[in-house]
Amino acid sequence: MVNVNIRRMKKEDMESVMDQLLRLKRLNSEFDCIFNVSEQSKADIEKYINKIMNSDDHVLLVAELDNKITGILFADILFRIYYEPKYEARIREFYVMPEYRRNGIGKKLIDALKRELDPKGITFITAEFPALNLIAQNFYKKIGYREIVTIYGQIH
Amino acid sequence: MIMENEERTEKYNEDALRYSEYYKGKIQTMSKVPVRSLDDFSIWYTPGVAAVSRKIATDHDLSFELTGRWNTIAILTDGTRVLGLGNIGPEAAMPVMEGKALIFNYLGGVNAIPVPIRVSSREEFVSVAKSLEPSFGGINLEDIESPKCFFLLETLQKEMNIPVWHDDQLGTASITLAGIINSIRIVGKKIEEVKVVFNGAGAANIAAAYLFKAAGFKKENIILVDSKGVLQPERQDMDSLMLNNPWKYQLAIETNGERVKGDLKEALKGADILISAAKSGPDTVDAKLVKEMNNDPIVFVLANPIPEMWPEEAKENGAKIVATGRSDFPNQINNSLVFPGVFRGVLDARAKGVNFDVMVAASYEIANFVEEPTAEKIVPTMEEWELYPRLASAVATKTVELGLARKIDSKEGFYKRARDIIENNRNIYRKMMDLGLIRMMPNGERKY
Repeated sequence: MVNVNIRRMKKEDMESVMDQLLRLKRLNSEFDCIFNVSEQSKADIEKYINKIMNSDDHVLLVAELDNKITGILFADILFRIYYEPKYEARIREFYVMPEYRRNGIGKKLIDALKRELDPKGITFITAEFPALNLIAQNFYKKIGYREIVTIYGQIH
Repeated sequence: MIMENEERTEKYNEDALRYSEYYKGKIQTMSKVPVRSLDDFSIWYTPGVAAVSRKIATDHDLSFELTGRWNTIAILTDGTRVLGLGNIGPEAAMPVMEGKALIFNYLGGVNAIPVPIRVSSREEFVSVAKSLEPSFGGINLEDIESPKCFFLLETLQKEMNIPVWHDDQLGTASITLAGIINSIRIVGKKIEEVKVVFNGAGAANIAAAYLFKAAGFKKENIILVDSKGVLQPERQDMDSLMLNNPWKYQLAIETNGERVKGDLKEALKGADILISAAKSGPDTVDAKLVKEMNNDPIVFVLANPIPEMWPEEAKENGAKIVATGRSDFPNQINNSLVFPGVFRGVLDARAKGVNFDVMVAASYEIANFVEEPTAEKIVPTMEEWELYPRLASAVATKTVELGLARKIDSKEGFYKRARDIIENNRNIYRKMMDLGLIRMMPNGERKY
């Protein structure tokens, strides 16, 4: 297991984070053509990340090893009007650089997310990823997650 | 020179079509037991044969002793990457598989049965291969598209109790390693110090990179380059590789210790060895890039029919040793030097499998066969048939050492056995041709 430092994302991390975010999206496109990546929207993505970086409704974490960003985790805090518990943290972006996989970095990112959520009393974590992404499916199953929502789609 | 070769190829093409029509296939099964009267059938078939079957039913490994399984392999293909022809299907793959069977038989004394199969998935291929196991002493996978071939080889090697070999990967990798071993001896460098660049990351070079690692080359000193540039863990296609070609993905992470990025030119800076198995040339690789390499550079340009750069040009730019895939230049890197002897060896040892350690031993035996290697002679040629029993003996001995053999013998014992089988087979060929039982070609001797 590598000695990685998990911390909140800073402005200086933007370039590495953007790179990993786009890698993740390109990986998604491998599973389903509905996730075809729009490389033109980089500026909008950067603007969006800047906006949510210090918001209470989002948690943006990075894994750092020897001053290098090796993984990212973004989660949104959602209000569940009909259900208990009332709040949910949904992992929407989760990526570890290929060279650093199988070193427990993913698990450490999730543990760090839990630590971020504890003071807010949020105990419910979900993860969103393409239905055909077996790698993500296997990862979450391995750490005890189960399927709870299904989204179907079609372009008309 | 190119024109001459093209003309010769054209002639070979015409003859192959004409003679295939004449002979209607290149191999046939033939009885090896005497049949003098109906009485003999009572031994070879019913009722006598039941006793043999009953015996095997008590111990399945006895099928290696009491039937021809000990010397029979299947050449399995789905016809998805036949020679340079691509995915032409199992029927069209048959002539190639028959040709391979002929070489197996002539050079290694192995009964090789061509088995092109129609399958629609990797899993179905695995299922067919596994169901064939009781009939064969080994499986030779042939002409299967990449990366499917890696999946099939890995799965079948793991799940079968007979050796499974994919010649496009393992055969080419073994003879390449053999050539490099002697090249390194000539230039006086050390395996653990040399920097090796593989240009092209298809089946042969990926297998070679793993084999070189098993042979003691430092993985950090190996660099692979493909059409997208130097393979390194930050490349944008890494996730796609992880899903679609985990073997290449693994190499991207393990190799290239200096984390070189860019193209072949960057990779070659200070390299000792270039092994190119890329697109047919002659300008696929700029010969001037040899100047970027370390002193006494070793250049293997293995694309067929035209190497990635002409050997003369490589030498003009400083290459100390050059090898190609062609027989009309010195140092032909040809997997036909490997598979007949390797299979002779694994069959003689009734081996349960074959692995990289066995292949390293095979490569050293091939290298050592060349008693005084020179820049113009780093590997044997196909005419040196003594190579095959020696290789078989080295392979069989290694499988004993690794606990993979069902039959134990000394190195000399294995050598004698292999030599006898191969020599006997060659005598049968000669005799049958002398007696006209193998018919001569209709227009007599070929002369080009």
